[in-house]
Amino acid sequence: MGKRLAICAVAQIKNHPNYHYLRFQNMLLECFEPIMKQTNVTFDMEKGIRTIITCSDDMFDARTISDNGITDVVGAHFRGEEKMAQESINGLGYAMACILSGHDDVILFMGHCKESQGESRRMISNLAYDPFYCRPLGMDYHNVDAFQARTYMEKSKVTDKHLAKIVVRSRKNGKKNPYARENKIIDEKEVMNSPMYSDPLRELYIYPVTDWAYGMLLCSEERAHEFTKNPVWITGYGSCMDRYFLGDRDLASNFSLKNAAKRAYAMADITNPRKDIQLFELSDHAAYQLPMWAEGVGIADECQGGRWIDEDGMDKFNVNLSGGQLNGNPLLLGGAARAIECYYQLANQAGDRQVRGAKRAVAQAATGGAGQHQAVIVMEGQGG
Amino acid sequence: MTKIQMNGYEDSYVIEGKMALPYTYFAGRVGSKFITTIRDQKKIMGVKCPACNMVYLPPRQVCDKDFTDIRDKWVEVSNTGTVVNFTVVRYDDKHLPRKAPFVLALIKLDGADTPFMHILEECTIENVKIGMNVEAVFAKETTNTILDIDHFKPAAERLSVHEINAARKQWVPADEPDTQEKRRGGRPDMSKPVIITAALTGAATMRNQNPSVPYKPEEFAEEAYKCWKAGAAMVHAHAREDGGMTTHDHGRIKATFDAIKDRCPDLIVNLSSAVGMGVTPEQRISQIVAIKPDMASLNTNTMNFGIVERKTGKIFIDYVFENTFTMLQDFGKAMEENGVKPEIECYDIGGLDNTLLIGKQGIFSDPMNFNFVWGVAGGQAFRSEAFIAMMNALPAKANFTTCGVGTDQYPCIMQSCILGGHMRVGLEDNTRMPNGALAKGSYEQVEVAVSIANALGRPVATTAEARLIMGLRKR
Repeated sequence: MGKRLAICAVAQIKNHPNYHYLRFQNMLLECFEPIMKQTNVTFDMEKGIRTIITCSDDMFDARTISDNGITDVVGAHFRGEEKMAQESINGLGYAMACILSGHDDVILFMGHCKESQGESRRMISNLAYDPFYCRPLGMDYHNVDAFQARTYMEKSKVTDKHLAKIVVRSRKNGKKNPYARENKIIDEKEVMNSPMYSDPLRELYIYPVTDWAYGMLLCSEERAHEFTKNPVWITGYGSCMDRYFLGDRDLASNFSLKNAAKRAYAMADITNPRKDIQLFELSDHAAYQLPMWAEGVGIADECQGGRWIDEDGMDKFNVNLSGGQLNGNPLLLGGAARAIECYYQLANQAGDRQVRGAKRAVAQAATGGAGQHQAVIVMEGQGG
Repeated sequence: MTKIQMNGYEDSYVIEGKMALPYTYFAGRVGSKFITTIRDQKKIMGVKCPACNMVYLPPRQVCDKDFTDIRDKWVEVSNTGTVVNFTVVRYDDKHLPRKAPFVLALIKLDGADTPFMHILEECTIENVKIGMNVEAVFAKETTNTILDIDHFKPAAERLSVHEINAARKQWVPADEPDTQEKRRGGRPDMSKPVIITAALTGAATMRNQNPSVPYKPEEFAEEAYKCWKAGAAMVHAHAREDGGMTTHDHGRIKATFDAIKDRCPDLIVNLSSAVGMGVTPEQRISQIVAIKPDMASLNTNTMNFGIVERKTGKIFIDYVFENTFTMLQDFGKAMEENGVKPEIECYDIGGLDNTLLIGKQGIFSDPMNFNFVWGVAGGQAFRSEAFIAMMNALPAKANFTTCGVGTDQYPCIMQSCILGGHMRVGLEDNTRMPNGALAKGSYEQVEVAVSIANALGRPVATTAEARLIMGLRKR
């Protein structure tokens, strides 16, 4: 195993359908202060935070250079500030590159998103597509995901009932997570009776609109003891981008996720994820993605997603004990939410949902329609 | 901007905003040509990579498989295609081009390899299915976007060869002393199904000539499957090493044979007893005896088998292909004794006479199956009258098929089909399509053969019918 970096502290606010009474600056401040308190880190230019990475999105914030609105709140004035305008999990990859290259050794990583601000998150994701071939047709992440769902469900024999089971479990797990969005507990019948949204996806198969913010303090291995007695390590990161045009892609192949996982596992010396890793947090923007990503990270057999659910693969491999993206995280921030849950688990702070003896965890997240870009990180606790 | 009072937060307010910024985007030269061709000529153009044969839609400047610059490699694709995936959008939103519900579909246009997204209309949502045929409806007014195709609508149903075959009666051979072509002086029985064979590789065609030539067993399997799907009842294969060299290694040939059979159990597999240059007669026949394919090639005369530039006559490879009477006899016996039906390769009428002469020993079982080969440098070039002379020289009950090297391919198979014979195509014989473009695989040439059969009203033989016609053992 190569060098690693430490997560010294995490903080978050509760995922919420609509923080109409909080500006996103307020949301971040509520994460920033606990980080300072937990670690006593300073902004000293010799030994404190000199680099801040933020994650936000121009369209969701309705202002370009969205980080410009929050630099004061996250202490980024007069020092290095970099914005990750992609899935937040890549901010951790960026921090890793920054620390392991020796560019800096302490990094504050903050992110926010108020999905509720925009009239339609579908309109926002429509703008992710080019104005000639895709945007005029109304392509957005939801209807594009539906194409992948159809292909994958047929290939891996995943049924409506399987998806309903995933949704019900997600909400039950979310109830054990104090930071999870408050959702009504529902049964499988209710899920399967929810209106068809974009065939074969029903309304309740898709994660709900959510507002959220988080913060993390990351540092080099050598300096971790200055900020915490109980660091959690990031030992591997990998990412991969698939092709842009939907018709160019083999939608059910997990091409980019397999590549991302392969790179992350190689970096972290993981040879058998089923044995070496004790819990998995997967960013299921829609219910079909949970078994699909499980195949991609290597804990479900290829084309066997349906059987894997039947055989309790989700519980057997401790997948999405937080409730997952499906219970509610904003777009782009699911990866940070996954990593924070892994942190709690590996630091033995996960309360009712704690996996006993968890030493290693995987967090995964995707950017773009139908999981075009994928990233995976491997994390390790003190016992690892 | 509007001030909105929030319950419980009377001292706070929120404002309603809107991001609206008029903008101009350049579609790029490739994108501009694509869109203006749709707008002005009602034609849909893709770009074809000469290195890997992929036809991309929408077009782009560089092939991301091999980084070939394809910006000028325009090809027209059809206005018709097939739905490969779809969703029904059941929500309304401002970015959507239609009121809900409407159908977005990934459509693979005929002639393109990459499906592209569009709207599907003029049909009830319940009737939309994967595999349905659709055609483009062009917009009356331009938007200078992909919406210059307004939408797609259902097109007339096109049945596959297999669907057509499933709907007709299976052909049953009449118990007659000779074929109708013999009996009626060459007047063919057009109701007899035509057997289409795809020769996937040969010993000489390499990937630098056509990147779709299979080398690995799994590549053979995939290509054979595509050929079967397109209408071939038989494939002819020369196994290759990973690097493309021909091989007489039993293990590799068996692996190739098994891969094809695993992928497509129904398909008739015809292996080569020629294998390649520099092998002994024992090496040539022992693999056939070991593997026992349904059929194997049996060559009938020693001849020049070179590579000669057609325009100048310049000799590149001078090679004598040895097929003595003894080899013809021994190979023929070995095949018949092992239940492998010989495909008797005649590079000129002399080869046919050789077979009839040696055949007097009673080696060959009826029906004998001949392949008239045209265009080998060392053999005869295709001539209609030569074809008819060979056909007339056949023994009773014999079947004939034909193949032609290079530009001889399509004329000779068409003549064969007209005369009641069968057709062999494939990259072994010719790397190109009738229009000169590189074939995407042998399967594309099978599609041409099917269209010839359709034009002449001959049914395309199922594998079961092909076994009956050629007298092969049952599966």
